[in-house]
Amino acid sequence: MDKPPLVELIDVAVRNDRGGMVFRDLNFVLPAERSAVITGAAGAGKTLLAELLIGLRFAESGTVRLFDRELRPAKNRLIRRVRRQIGGVGGQFGLAPTLTVSENITLPMVIAGERKKVQRERLRKMLAEFSLLKQAGELPGSLTRVENSLVQFARASVANQPLMIIDEPSAGLDPKTFLRVFEFLVRVSVSGRSMVILVSETPGQKMPNTDYYRISDGALV
Amino acid sequence: MTRIARVLTELARNLRRYPGTALGSLLSLLLLFLLFDLFWIASVTSDRFYRDLLSEIRMEVFLDEGVADSSITGLSRSIMSLEEVSAADYVSKESARDELARLVGIDLLVGYDSANPLPRSFVLTIEPMYLNTQDMATLETELARLTGSGEIQYSRHWLEKAETTRSLILRIGLALGALIILTTLISSANNIRLMARTKAVGFRQMLLLGAGRLFIAFPFVLEGFLLAGLSAAAGWALIFYGRGKVVFTQFELVFPAGDEVVIYCLIIALLGSLSGYLGVRKLLK
Repeated sequence: MDKPPLVELIDVAVRNDRGGMVFRDLNFVLPAERSAVITGAAGAGKTLLAELLIGLRFAESGTVRLFDRELRPAKNRLIRRVRRQIGGVGGQFGLAPTLTVSENITLPMVIAGERKKVQRERLRKMLAEFSLLKQAGELPGSLTRVENSLVQFARASVANQPLMIIDEPSAGLDPKTFLRVFEFLVRVSVSGRSMVILVSETPGQKMPNTDYYRISDGALV
Repeated sequence: MTRIARVLTELARNLRRYPGTALGSLLSLLLLFLLFDLFWIASVTSDRFYRDLLSEIRMEVFLDEGVADSSITGLSRSIMSLEEVSAADYVSKESARDELARLVGIDLLVGYDSANPLPRSFVLTIEPMYLNTQDMATLETELARLTGSGEIQYSRHWLEKAETTRSLILRIGLALGALIILTTLISSANNIRLMARTKAVGFRQMLLLGAGRLFIAFPFVLEGFLLAGLSAAAGWALIFYGRGKVVFTQFELVFPAGDEVVIYCLIIALLGSLSGYLGVRKLLK
């Protein structure tokens, strides 16, 4: 039996805070083990789309379904469960300023009630993978923008979350670091996990198992 | 880090980062609870004082002259059948005369041996639970209905005044208690809100990662519990320490029972928890 899609948006309509219609009959399906890169100009609704997926905003009409569960307001417990399966980078996602780098990275596992030993092992792996061993005990305030971004990537994949939502992955990264991050994203895309990557411009390099979309006039094309 | 470890780490971090706020909260609550504890002791002591005085209240039922001595036993039985009465002591004319002589120092009825004008009576001891104006008035009515009973006397006005005073002390206690509850809630909640505000960004991130409200709020709930509970316990510790140092010779201070103090401290600690939650509640939306 086929796995249900991770993300399903059916005829979604959403207005922005000023009352203007941003999405009109938006349809989008992200099958399991596939990723999507969504491009759009500033103000096209990329961040709004990310907010829909993490239950920060709700559709005025249509259906938003993640992990085969429909997100609706007042379904707080369901939204919490869905969010625990999402790793986020950029946009609404940031670091908790009063927690150290290690604590920020392990936070999804602490919330999920993961065992201490597993937490330690995965933390060590993430710190090594993103070259953050030296910064492990530091607070986010003392990190550079690049380091801050890397910590977010580490946190977004430390618990093997099945879905990553990445808002502008290249923001704040120098070309060398971006290349490392891109390699990481490629590894994720072939690992069986899924990503929704929101970017302003279509990236030059293509990733495997990935579909490319563009937001245009409130719809995905 | 386990969830429990995270809660304890956050709690320790809050106290370490804001020792002034925590200490200020602890001391202001301590002062507040100390005042309440002293009022509690005063209230319990005065209540004991009144109870001791009340237990000495007697009701005296004088008998009509026409009542035959042979009817006394029956009358005594009727009086004792009333549930308010725990004892009924018969005072004969001779006993009344002796008592009068004892009180004034000389026998005023010398020469009136055959015509002693003093009435016979029953002196009633009342069950403690009926020592109040309402029950005493009911008892008085019941006694008045008995054949042979005449005038009935007891310290009605003193009893009314004692009741008014006790009720006033109780009302002051309730008002003070309500005020302290409100102050504890507001003061603790505000202190915790101040500490939590700097963590608002972190709370938002935790919510985005799927953390529950209780998971985020629990360190603050625990902090409220600890600060309020410690303040309440420290207040009593100071009082019990002072108890051994000060001795009153005119009267004895009455302290609440140990289990009452423990329950009181627990209730205060729970109020502190509530204020901890109220302190961070708005930041969890």
